[in-house]
Amino acid sequence: MTNNPYQNDRGNKDRTITKDGGGTMNTATGTDHEMNTENAFLIGDSMTGGYGKTGPDILHDCTIAVNKGEIAVIVGPNGAGKSTAMKATFGMLHLREGSVRLDGQDITDLSPQARVAQGMGFVPQTSNIFTSMTVQENLEMGAFIRTDDFSDTMAQVYDLFPILKDKRYQAAGELSGGQRQQVAVGRALMTRPKVLLLDEPTAGVSPIVMDELFDRIIEVARTGIPILMVEQNARQALEIADKGYVLVQGANAHTGTGKELLADPEVRQSFLGG
Amino acid sequence: MDILNAIVALSNFVLVPAIAYGSQLALGALGVTLIYGILRFSNFAHGDTMAFGTMVVVLFTWWFQSMGITLGPLPTALLALPFGIIACAALVIGTDRIVYRFYREQKAKPVILVIVSMGVMFIMNGLVRFIIGPNDQRFADGERFIISARDFKQMTGLHEGLAIKTTQGITVITAVVVVALLFWFLNRTRTGKSMRAYSDNEDLALLSGINPERVVLYTWLIVAALATVAGTLYGLDKTFKPFTYFQLLLPIFAAAIVGGLGSPLGAIAGGFVIAFSEVTITYAWKKVLVYLLPDNLDPEGLVQLLSTDYKFAVSFAILVIVLLFKPTGLFKGKSV
Repeated sequence: MTNNPYQNDRGNKDRTITKDGGGTMNTATGTDHEMNTENAFLIGDSMTGGYGKTGPDILHDCTIAVNKGEIAVIVGPNGAGKSTAMKATFGMLHLREGSVRLDGQDITDLSPQARVAQGMGFVPQTSNIFTSMTVQENLEMGAFIRTDDFSDTMAQVYDLFPILKDKRYQAAGELSGGQRQQVAVGRALMTRPKVLLLDEPTAGVSPIVMDELFDRIIEVARTGIPILMVEQNARQALEIADKGYVLVQGANAHTGTGKELLADPEVRQSFLGG
Repeated sequence: MDILNAIVALSNFVLVPAIAYGSQLALGALGVTLIYGILRFSNFAHGDTMAFGTMVVVLFTWWFQSMGITLGPLPTALLALPFGIIACAALVIGTDRIVYRFYREQKAKPVILVIVSMGVMFIMNGLVRFIIGPNDQRFADGERFIISARDFKQMTGLHEGLAIKTTQGITVITAVVVVALLFWFLNRTRTGKSMRAYSDNEDLALLSGINPERVVLYTWLIVAALATVAGTLYGLDKTFKPFTYFQLLLPIFAAAIVGGLGSPLGAIAGGFVIAFSEVTITYAWKKVLVYLLPDNLDPEGLVQLLSTDYKFAVSFAILVIVLLFKPTGLFKGKSV
């Protein structure tokens, strides 16, 4: 004990911040890149929840976002909750925690139909077309909530998917798998959505058709519509993605640009097969 | 061999009655198939819905007749038809609000809705008998025949006569008009397309912003119109008796299932398949065969496969055969 008043520790007896051997509190080093979640056009923020009010949680503090003019892709192993995460942003899940915001507006409590009216377009993985109706009728039904003249939007969809124009009077159920997916995407585009959600658009189509579908999706994105997409074919999807989310067991495991994730050795080893 | 007389006899006793009966069944089956496609249950109350609509038409016809309002050669019932449709629509929409909507909100299984519709059937059944009584009621008036058998014989000089009743002619014309209107509505209008979309894929219809309650309302309106028209045509052709309408349920369901439940085109085809089988199997073929076969092969009996009392057995048999070998029906409807 010295007489130096500066060395006696009277007045600060809080041992939690004066542990022997120095402090343990570190400064955050940051993510080394901009996250921009405050600018995200559509963001499902720290979502925790599952199907139904009593169902077990499938998502755990999961965040996915898509910015204007970008393609965001959700990848991950089977049962990781990829589709679930996307459905959560579309209001098909009971969220216990977290929020969903579209263009700065909180839409957490809106029903899926109300979200369509707000400008979200959703293409489910299966049963995403009206099989007994013609291609043109499918598109008309997509525009059901619009009361204005939608012929110009239909012309745009036909420009985007020329094959649909040739088959517009055919029943959609008679088309091939790839063409059906184009009908499904076209139907969702008819509301002129501000953001497009695609649930495994290439599920069950041949590799050649898959390449074509990816090209089409890039073209849709070039028209300025942000796209949030769940994909089984992680490598190809990440190649076209501006942003990728790797989910594992309903939580964010890795996040980054598509290129970063493709280069990340851990992601490569776990999900891309080396 | 006398082919001409054979054809006339066949037309008179088989073709004309079967076409008229088939049109009535087709209109009834269209109602059943629409309910099945859109509300997703087999509506057992359909026969009694027809009876209720027809009853209102009968009452209005009597009222018009008492005031001396008629349509000349056409039956007065055609004038009363719109009132029957309005009353029937009010009944089914009221039933939907009070009964079916509750089960729809519970997302009840179709089998529960079927049983519920049976309850509704008994109530409607009682309601109709309470108002008009259980007996036969005749309400057809106007000209009886377009061509009577005697006129036809005089015109052509054949042995056989061909009679076409006014009600048969009206049945076929009305059925064609109603079916054309229905198909135009379903295929050309925005509301009709939304009904087909809802029937095709409920979830996607919801995603597209189609309001299910709206679709259900329009469906009941159309079903009420179809049921009243079908019931009135049947009543004009034969007579109106509440119990007969309850019995009609069987051939109507058989028609809808044979055609493929949920397919409007199938309902029409099914109606004619059932009508033609019923009439041909219960018809005594002796007359036609006498004209066709050489004299020494003339049949001794009536050559009637089944007595007309068994005509419902025919629709039952066809129903069972279709369910065994082609459960989705002729036009790829939904399997039951």
